[in-house]
Order: sequence, then C-alpha cells, then structure tokens
Amino acid sequence: MSLYPPTQSQGYGAVAYPPQGYGQPSMYAQPPPAYNFAPPAQPVFHVDPTSFRREYSTRLAELTVNSRPIIQNLSMLAQDYSRFADVVVQCIESHIRRVPQWMKLPAFYLLDAISKNVYNPYANSFAPLVVRLFLDTYEQVDQSTRSKMEEMLLTWRTGSPNGRELFGVVPQLAIERQIWGGESTQNASSNRFGASPSVSAAQVLSELEFVLNQKERALQVNPYDKASQNHVVVLQQLRKLVQAGVSQAELAQILTQLRALAQPASTPAPVQAPVTAPPPQVRPQSYPSLQPSYLPVPPNSVVQSSYPPQSAYPPSAAYVAPKSEPIDLGGLLSAVQPASHASNAPPPPSAAPTNNIADLFSALVKAGVVSASGTPTGAGATAKAEEPLTPSDPVKDAARQYRKAVLKHKIKLTSADITKQRSHLVELMYDRLPAQCKQCGIRFPDGPAGKKMMDDHLDMHFRQNRKAGQAVSRGHSRSWFVSVEDWIHDGFVDTKGKGRADGRKISSSAAAAAEAAKREAELRALHVVVPPGDEAKPISCPICKEPLKSEFLEDDEEWVWRNAVQRDDKIYHATCHAEASASKSTLAVRLRNEAAGSRSRSLTPEKTRTPPKVAVDGVLRKSESPAPTTPQGTKRKAEDDDLHGRTQGTGDAPPSKKLAVAA
Amino acid sequence: MDGRGHTEVNVDANTRQWNLDPCTEYRFELDPGTTLAIKLIYGHAEIFGAELADGATYLFGLECKAAVYTWQGCTIEISLPSTEYVSDETPMHAYANVHLALEQMRVRALRAMHGSPPSSDDEGSADANPEPPRVLILGPENSGKTTVAKILVNYAVRTGQEWTPMLVNTDPGEGGWAVPGAIAATPVSSPIQTSTPATRLGCAASSAPAHLTSNALLPLAYWYGHAEMKRNPLLMDRLIRNLGENVAERWDHDPEGRVAGMIVDTPASFAASSGAANEHRHALIKACVDAFRINAILVVGHEKLNVEMQRTYGNRMAVVKIPKSGGVVELDASYRDRVRKYQLQNYMYGKALQPPPGLSTKTHLQGGEQTADQTLNLAPVSSIVGFGDLTIYRIGEENMAPTSALPIGATRVVSEMQPLLVDPAQPGCGLYNAVLALLSSPNPDESERYDEEILDLPAVGFIVVTALDIPNKRMTVLSPSQGSLVGRTAVVGSFEWQE
Repeated sequence: MSLYPPTQSQGYGAVAYPPQGYGQPSMYAQPPPAYNFAPPAQPVFHVDPTSFRREYSTRLAELTVNSRPIIQNLSMLAQDYSRFADVVVQCIESHIRRVPQWMKLPAFYLLDAISKNVYNPYANSFAPLVVRLFLDTYEQVDQSTRSKMEEMLLTWRTGSPNGRELFGVVPQLAIERQIWGGESTQNASSNRFGASPSVSAAQVLSELEFVLNQKERALQVNPYDKASQNHVVVLQQLRKLVQAGVSQAELAQILTQLRALAQPASTPAPVQAPVTAPPPQVRPQSYPSLQPSYLPVPPNSVVQSSYPPQSAYPPSAAYVAPKSEPIDLGGLLSAVQPASHASNAPPPPSAAPTNNIADLFSALVKAGVVSASGTPTGAGATAKAEEPLTPSDPVKDAARQYRKAVLKHKIKLTSADITKQRSHLVELMYDRLPAQCKQCGIRFPDGPAGKKMMDDHLDMHFRQNRKAGQAVSRGHSRSWFVSVEDWIHDGFVDTKGKGRADGRKISSSAAAAAEAAKREAELRALHVVVPPGDEAKPISCPICKEPLKSEFLEDDEEWVWRNAVQRDDKIYHATCHAEASASKSTLAVRLRNEAAGSRSRSLTPEKTRTPPKVAVDGVLRKSESPAPTTPQGTKRKAEDDDLHGRTQGTGDAPPSKKLAVAA
Repeated sequence: MDGRGHTEVNVDANTRQWNLDPCTEYRFELDPGTTLAIKLIYGHAEIFGAELADGATYLFGLECKAAVYTWQGCTIEISLPSTEYVSDETPMHAYANVHLALEQMRVRALRAMHGSPPSSDDEGSADANPEPPRVLILGPENSGKTTVAKILVNYAVRTGQEWTPMLVNTDPGEGGWAVPGAIAATPVSSPIQTSTPATRLGCAASSAPAHLTSNALLPLAYWYGHAEMKRNPLLMDRLIRNLGENVAERWDHDPEGRVAGMIVDTPASFAASSGAANEHRHALIKACVDAFRINAILVVGHEKLNVEMQRTYGNRMAVVKIPKSGGVVELDASYRDRVRKYQLQNYMYGKALQPPPGLSTKTHLQGGEQTADQTLNLAPVSSIVGFGDLTIYRIGEENMAPTSALPIGATRVVSEMQPLLVDPAQPGCGLYNAVLALLSSPNPDESERYDEEILDLPAVGFIVVTALDIPNKRMTVLSPSQGSLVGRTAVVGSFEWQE
C-alpha cells in the first residue's frame, strides 16, 4: 500500500533522526569544539567561591536576552569551574527566580545548556530543584514562553549523554504530569494553558512521532506483532503526508485518531499524547531571530529535532503513571475497540488502532488528500515544505527530471531505430542547459545544483586568468603518467593533496579548488615569532588592517603571530600578502621577490605550494606542519636530488631545452 | 560552392563569414604549415561534439581536418583554409540517437546504483540490472571511428550530469594521449577539443598547473611499440586485458565513474577482413569484449563486419551499424606517418600554434586552453645515461640470433612474449633514434615478481635515444620531464623519431 512515493521523502529520515543518542547536539552549535576554539579573554578568577560567585552573578546579569554567545560563555565558565558547581547552580536558580518573567527563558536555556553539555556534575545538582523552578516559572510566564519551555522539556527526556532523562525520571515525570498530565478535562492537548482551535502541523508531527516511537518500541519487544508492524508503516506514511502538508481539518482528524492510537498501546500514559501538543504559536518560525540566540531546538528543523531519537528513548514503562485519569481518550478508545476483534488476531490492545488508521486513510482518500495511486494531491505547499527540510533534494530532483527527459524518448540501440528518427539532442543538450560559460562554451543545468557547478567552473576560469600572467617565464614539460595505483584511485580521493603532475582529478574545477584550499592552509600555517617583549603590542596587517592574532605554540614554547609573514620589517597576514602579490604579478614584483632569496621566495604562490621547500627555515618564519605533502613526495624528492646532480654534467642540452631546476 | 544550406560572405582578404543552416556541417582541411582560426559569431555550433563558445577564436593546425556542425544554424567567421565546403548530409542525427540510447543506459544504471526502483516513466527497462554502456567501435580505415568515439564522449560530458566516461584507445597507430605505439585509457570530464591531429583525443597532462591546463587528461598507457597489430597480436591481447583489468578496478572504487560507461576506439585492422591481420582480429575483438565487458558494438559503415559481429555477439549485446560520415577524408600512409611525427614532437615539445596572418584578435583557444602559448609549449630534458643505468628490453623474437647460431641440439625457447634484454653496445641494437617506453617501477616486493612482469607494467612516459656513445658506454636520451632514469626499465618498439 504505497500511499506515498518513497522517493519524495528521501532525506527526511536523516534529518529527523540524528543518530546520536544525545539530546540535540546541534543546537548549541557543537559546543565542545566551540569551547576549544574560542578562548575568551578570561578574567583571572581568584579561586575562592565568593569572588567566583560575584563574578558569575555579574555575568549572569548580562543574560537579559536570548544570546547564544553569552550562554556559551557562561556554560564555559561553568565547565571550567565545575568545582564550584553548587555556586553556579545557586546563582542560576536565584537569577531565574529574581528576574522579570521575560528574562527567565534565557536563563533556563543556560540551565539547559550547562546540564546537557557539561552534564556532570550540573545535571545532578539541578535535579533536586529543577521541578519546582520549572513549574514556578511556567506559572508566571506568558504563553509563548511556556511553549518554548515545553519544547525544552521535551528535549530533557533524552537530554543526558546516555540518551535518558536529563534530570532523571522522577523530576521529568513530575514536571510533565504537572504541565500536561493532571488535567482531567483537557481536550487532548488543548490544556489549561490556552486551548487553541487550530492545530499546527508541528504539533501533529510531534505527537505522531511520539506514537511512532511507542510502536517501534513495542515492535522491538515483540517483533512478531503484526499490528504494530502495520502501525509503524502506516504512521511513517502518515508522517510523510503531514510533512507534505494537509489541511487544518485533516490535521485535527489525524490528531484525534493519533491520540486514540497512542492511548491503548502504552496503557495509561496520560503524559504522552498531550505532551507534544503545544499551541500553534509554538511554531519555530515565530522565534525572534535578532541575534544568535540559544534555542533548545534549531529553528529550521524544530519539528524534527524535537523528536526524541527513537533508539535512545527510554522504554515507555518509564512513563507509566499508575494512577492517571483515563480522560475522554479512554472513551474514544472503548468506542473503537469492539470493532477490532475481527481482525487477524493481533494482541487486543493494539488491534483497535489498526482500524483507526484504516479509517483515517479512507477518510483522507475521500477528502482527496491522498489519491488512490499514492500521490498526495493535498497542498500546493508540498514542494515548498519539503525543500528546506531536505537540502539534497534539488540535486535529486534535477537528476530525476533529467532521467525523465532522457527516458521519455522511445529509442532502442538498433540500426533501424537510430537512423530513422530525428534526434532530440537539441532539447537535451541545449534547451535543458540554458546557462553557458562564455569562455569555453560548457553548459550547465538550471537550478541550485547547476548554479553551483557553474560557479565552481567560473571560479576555475577566474583563477586561471588571474594566474595566467605568472606563468609567462616558466617552462613546463610533459608529466610522467601517474602510477597505476594512483590512476585507479584518482578521481575520488580528492583530499590526497596530489602533486601537480597528477593534480588533475575528475573535474578540473574541483582540483583547482582543492589546490587553492591547500595553499591557503599552508599560508595560514605560516607564522612569525613575536619578538620578546612585544607580546602585548597590538599589530595589524598593513593590507587588511585587521589585527594579527598572537598565539602560544606549545611545541616551540614561543608566542607567534599566526598566518603571518614578515616582509621589509612589516608583518602581514600570509594570506593577504599572497593575494596582494598575486594580483600585482608584474615581472618586477616577481623579480624582486625572487631576488630576495629563499626567504621571500616562499611568497610566490607557486613556491608555497610545495611545503617541503617552504619549510627551509628562515629565522623568522617556519612552516611547522608540512603535513599536506604529496604522497610520492619522498620519491619525487629523491629523483630531484639525483637529477640535480646528474644534470649538472649534461652541458650539451640545447638551450631551448630546460635543464632541471632543483630548488 | 552550390549555396545550398549556407551562404558565405567575404569580410576582408583573410576572413570570411559562413552562414550555416541548421543540421549542416562546415568541413575544412589544412595543408602542412597552415593554421586556421574559427570564431562563432551567431547561433550554436560544435566541433565533434564539443560546443564552441560564442565569440571565442579557436585555432587549428598541423594538417587538421575537422568539421563545424550546427544543430540550430549559425554564423562562423573563418580565416582562409586550404580546403573547405559545407555539407548538409551528415550522420549526426544517428550519432545523437546513439548518444540518447547510451544516455538511457546511464540513467538506468545510475538509478540502479542509487537503489531507486524503476519508475513508471520508463517502460523500456525490463532489465532488472541495468548496466552502463560499454561501447566498442569497429570500422575500416577512414570510417571516422575516432570521431564517433569523440562525439559520443563529448555528448556524455556535456549533459550537465557530471558524467566522467572512460575513453579507451586501443589503436597503437593512433597513440591517443601518449605516443604512437601505445594504447591507453582515460576518464574524460570536459569536452575533448579538436585542434591538431597530434592531439585528436585531447592533451595529456603536462607540468603546467592544473588551473592553467584545464583540459588535460590523465591516461593510463601500455606500450605495444608497433603500429600494426600483426607484429605481435599476443602482446596486444595481453595489454588490452591489462588495461581492462585496471579500468575495472578503478570502477570498483568509483561507482559514479562506472555508471558513465566507456567508449572504446579500435584500430582499423580489427575490421580488415582480408590479409594477414585476419587471423588475429577476432581474437583481439574478443579480448576487447572480454576485457572491457563490452555490452554494445557500433560498426561504422561496414556491412560485412556488421553481419559478422551480429553472428558472433548479436545474441549477447546490441550490435548496431551506424552510418559513416561523408566528410571523412581518405588518409594516405604518408599523412599517417606525418601525424605520428607530429604526435611525438607534440609529446616532447608541445605545440602552440601560430595564429593565421591577419587574425584580428590576440586571444584564442587552442585545444580548449586559454593560454596555449604558455602551457602548450613544453620543454623536454636531454640527459646522458650510462648503458648500465637503464635496462632496455625488446618484446619478442626480433633481432635474435638465427637458429643456426644456436648450440647444436638446443631448440628455440623464446616466444613472442618473452622480454629480451637489449645491449646498447651491440651494433645493430636498433636504439639510435628509437622511441622507448619508460615503464613504471616493478613490484617492490621481490617475491611478487615474475618473469613476464614487464609485459604488465604500464608506461609512465616515453624517451628517445638521440645519441649513442659506444666507446664511453653512454647514450643521450631526450625525456619529456625531469626525473632520474637510473635503474629504470624501458622497452623499445619499432618506432623511431628524429627532431
């Protein structure tokens, strides 16, 4: 029962389910590396708790808006001073309790960040007070803040490093029950905190996801449970459908049925169904994005990422609340249950939803949301909704369209077929590829993928033209062919950093880009040792006017300026300088550079491309990491040396022939 | 000129404009020593499948014979060539249809690779396991096989699908990206430009940086050493199989490349139905079919061969007769000799063409290169090596002592596959002016070596012995690039070259 073409949903799964068991690793912009890179100008703290408390409170007071840098900074501090965890916890708690309600959410995000990223010991320290703090805050804040808190709460379910409840089962349940579970009169999720007649797709999706998780767990426990198998399949299709976009009425219908479905499978589970049903203003698009702000959930993929990763989700038993009100869902359930007995002897509890879902689908089909052939005829929003979710889609779409265009022509590879027809080549080769490179006539398809290809291609031309002048006096010669091993592996190992002889890979543009990247990396690795006493002196690159960053090299035990070269007593950014000298590539400039000897020779791009030569050390400059050398670097060098000696003796080469130039 | 299908206008003494109707072809032939410039003024045009950029000037030389085809009609501006005419009878529709059929095989294979199910828009794919096209092109002398191969490869890389098809040249008389006497394969990612017969299949990489030689190719080459198949068909068979194995291994690592398929160009002797070559050609065709796992054979304009192939392979794969272009020029032996000389010259020194007199613009493209004067003029290296430094072999029975000179009772044990050491000090060693293939290093692991290993080593380059100094046991060698020759192994064939 293919209700939905599987191809349309490609990529979704990958987005929706981060493989990590850990909460939302992406949402803090990968904090651990960030911590490593950005050593902030840390004030030196005295080690006593009192001054630390003072300092931390002061900084915490700056957290008036949702600002990711501030939150990250505070998290880092908390990490660095985890021995003062209790101080941090007290500061944050009192801060949250003290500040006006509009400042509470950022502080909660800080709590969230510290607990998730540092985890130990903070999660434990917060655990005893988080329930009260959360609920008290929840009472005070406005509706939109509440929904954000709810979202955050959901991430706590799997927020611990091992994928379990961030603060433990008990606090998690306590909060959830208070917020969602305790309402006997709730009409599903439209709870006391503001029912909304409209149902958002995000809401339905998160509930759907939840039920799906339930079913999948049930399936893991009992792999032969046909009914659950069915449910999983159906729910997955339903998910695609909702993502593609369905109308309000249908959303509401799906939601109702979902809740009915969720109910019996996990016995009482009062917390579950309503849990993920925040009012519509929760939708991520409504987040203000004035500045890099901390969100427990990335704004662009809130729907997916708020789903707990299925594998890491704790067994549903953890949520079983023994004494929960059956609410009206129970009635719903009992209403459908009898109908289920006729079906193929699945375990009674899960039988009912089978019919529910079947009903749901027939209803959807009737409503024209789903066509019998499986194509969603629903919303025109389908494509729009899917594109941002699955970035790889344009490429696939383009490939699919091309395939269609190619396959629609009926032709067989027979002598008769190829001679009797007029060809469709113009359509395929010219009309479909409207963008053309003015320099070489190569054409590119429309669309983002084609645009990218063309941009890369034009970049290649740009570099070519810019560097053309530099090559004037250099003689080139035919390369030796690559070894059979390199030939076999050429074209898909593009990070090999090959020498120029075999530098051509499948596309010259990619090779050129790789070459440029490598060159830049080499330039950036250059550094100048800071003269003693000048460590604190701020200096700027004369070209870009940006300050040069100084850095302490552990290996050499020296302060150095990174990405720097020294020329005529001035320190430049190595990248700026290379750029500048490339752009004014007059003969005079090059001659002067080369006359300056090995030291400045490294500055012409050609030379800096071969790290071993750069590594010939000057006093002020060294390339400490000639890592990206060519794979056959050693062999090549041996040959060079050998040849160097050899060609000294061959004076009889005609002048037009190039003698070996060993650098 | 009959004026049908085109009009021509003289711009000035040196330049003429041709207006070509859709689906017509402007053909030109150059005499030795002349060059030609072509500029597309209006419309769209292509040369053997490579589209011309609007307004760019393309240079041709070294007795190039080529054609500008237009699907939609165009105006081109041309300096005065030696011979020129316009034809409206071309096989381009048939070639384009072949391309379309091959393209269908590619997209089906790609879909299978991605694991997508066949879709409803594809009725033709009854095949559960669609294979990418691996095409063998057969045809007699002067039928345009190489041109067909070039057009099909160019169309594949122009689709915007980032195909990188493999182009294989098994014609040692042609030389492809190496020198005459070699067979080679190379992946192609951008259209192969036509400019001189020395680079009919595009240029191999030189030491010019990749960003300057944007069209250079990276071939894998084996050295056969002779122009004719009949010299050593067993060796040819083995080299073809070596090439095929390496292509297969490359594709194992590169499924995307595999999906783009392969076009194999063959020597005319594969099609010759009479003469000494006949006995071997079936074996060699079979070697190609096996080695490259061919699944389609194109026979260019040869009824009898087509029937023959239908009988032999028709039950296993598509065997398709495709028309021969009327524009193919009958080439005589002396022309082919000159082209081989051009190729060797081009291998060592490159060749930047001089624009024809009176060309208004200074910037022009040659072989697709924007900076031909910098990147297409190459500097080889001349060096002296001792006789003992370079180990030189000859494959097979030539230059052996006559049987009568063998010790009594000894029988000849040398086969045509046996590598025989050549002593440069011997008079008549045949090394003076000989073209030698420098082989890649043998297996560093001694235990892995075997007697005939040098038959299986690809060539890394080609060198020419320009002087022999027998008293001092030294010889002067011209090699394309730097690098020590000491301890290397080279194989001599039957090609000679003098500057």
